[in-house]
Amino acid sequence: MSEKKEFVSVSIPVELYKTIEKRIKDTEFTSVSEYVTYVLKEVLESLDEEDKEEVFTEEEEKKVKERLRALGYLD
Amino acid sequence: MQAVKRVFVIGLDSAPPELLFDKLLNELPNIKKLLESSIYGPMKSCIPAITIPAWIVMATGKTPGELGLYGFRHRKKGTYNDIWIAHSLMIKEKAVWDYIGEAGKKSILIGIPPSYPPKSINGYLVSCFITPDTSVNYTYPKSLKKEIENLVGEYIFDVIFRKDNRDEVKELIWKMTKKRFEIIRYLIQKKEWDYFQFVEIGLDRVHHAFWKYFDENHHLHEPNNKYKDVIPEYYKLLDKEIGKTLELLDLDETAIVLVSDHGIKAMNGAFAINQWLIDEGLLKIKNPEILKSGKQVRFEELQVDWSKTIAWAWGGYYARIFLNVKGREPKGIIKPKEYYKVRDEIAEMIKGIKGSNGEKWDTKVFYPEEIYPETKGDKPDIIVYLDNLNWRAAGTLGYNNPYLLENDIGPDDAVHSEYGIFSLYVPGMKESKKITLTIYDFAPTILKLFGIETNLKGKSIFSS
Repeated sequence: MSEKKEFVSVSIPVELYKTIEKRIKDTEFTSVSEYVTYVLKEVLESLDEEDKEEVFTEEEEKKVKERLRALGYLD
Repeated sequence: MQAVKRVFVIGLDSAPPELLFDKLLNELPNIKKLLESSIYGPMKSCIPAITIPAWIVMATGKTPGELGLYGFRHRKKGTYNDIWIAHSLMIKEKAVWDYIGEAGKKSILIGIPPSYPPKSINGYLVSCFITPDTSVNYTYPKSLKKEIENLVGEYIFDVIFRKDNRDEVKELIWKMTKKRFEIIRYLIQKKEWDYFQFVEIGLDRVHHAFWKYFDENHHLHEPNNKYKDVIPEYYKLLDKEIGKTLELLDLDETAIVLVSDHGIKAMNGAFAINQWLIDEGLLKIKNPEILKSGKQVRFEELQVDWSKTIAWAWGGYYARIFLNVKGREPKGIIKPKEYYKVRDEIAEMIKGIKGSNGEKWDTKVFYPEEIYPETKGDKPDIIVYLDNLNWRAAGTLGYNNPYLLENDIGPDDAVHSEYGIFSLYVPGMKESKKITLTIYDFAPTILKLFGIETNLKGKSIFSS
């Protein structure tokens, strides 16, 4: 049984709409809404990924945690 | 107030007004002379009053809640205690150097936490003490690392002070500080800059390591001990290095700031807060026998029965309390509609904790959503200042009672206090003036010096 999805309308400038319409012609995207939804999801996910970007390797993280513990900031 | 050409900020981690502006001032001729033509006074830190997030709260003018930064560590989403360490890429708000960078002005930043990994700025950057070690890239641009190593050899980010060999700790703190000032003076002279800020972490380390030797009122103080002058000597070292550095600056066109992120005071003891939560029936474990072994126990060694646990804590210089909420935590049991009631009850219990002799404690509890306009990221449910920060929170367990008169992990005799310091010399000033301000006033004040107005919550000290 498929989930019933709810949608809201968002406004974009006409020029942008037309640019996207041209862009998705002959692609698998069947509507501007579908393309815009796809692009926005990608953007949001990449922003999330930025936060989770590996700043420390496992070994480096262990080293920094031990140092912070030795400095009294962690217990 | 006219805009200035350059601003030079001397960051002294944990410098308290009681020592820098009062008790030790007569032994610090360069700082004393600077204060004679500065606006200066105590500066109230943020909540929590700790190095991360305080320095970046200061630089951005944003609260820990808006930054999503409540300390050095945060929980990974959907876990109880898998943590990630705070780092520079988490900071999404503009700092002073970003604002002025947009106006084409250059900054040199040294050791401002959190600054690893080094972000690109309009200028130069050396990262802070959360850098793993000197093998990584710790500068922006990358080429700066070689310049530093050619100048001072291996760079020292920080010193682990919780060691019994106090002579070695002292030697390393001195070595680290001298290297850092050598780099500072090199960069002042060799690079273009409009804004220069560094944080000297050595002051915090010397405070924590040598407080009981210095403070006659500390309960562990022994009169006429070998290390009683180490803290004053370090202040004199800082004064001498600051004096040498100020000689390189044109005081007719450079504003000079002295600032700290919080103050420092004697630690009365460490309170084993997780052990207390177990005693109060709020934290349940499957292996209680481990607490009777006579050995210190780390939280990771506990087999927590999450299906029966209401709350657990993180220790450090302040405590964070987390509630085991259904739907939010992996095995949460507190129903969301009971959250506020349960939290209030636990807050009252914490406020009611008395000292080891039954004395009243001035414990403060804070709810993040009440003290910050926004609460991003992994916010704790309650922030706790045990006896107003006079007592540390120890996360370890296995003691006869939760009141530990010495720190639980290695020698450390000081805790943070709410008020750090601020002083500002502006070219043309001939007299001193006293002021009290908050950490949120720093960024608007610096930006005002560059002629930039902002809508930050703090106010420039020139606005009244």
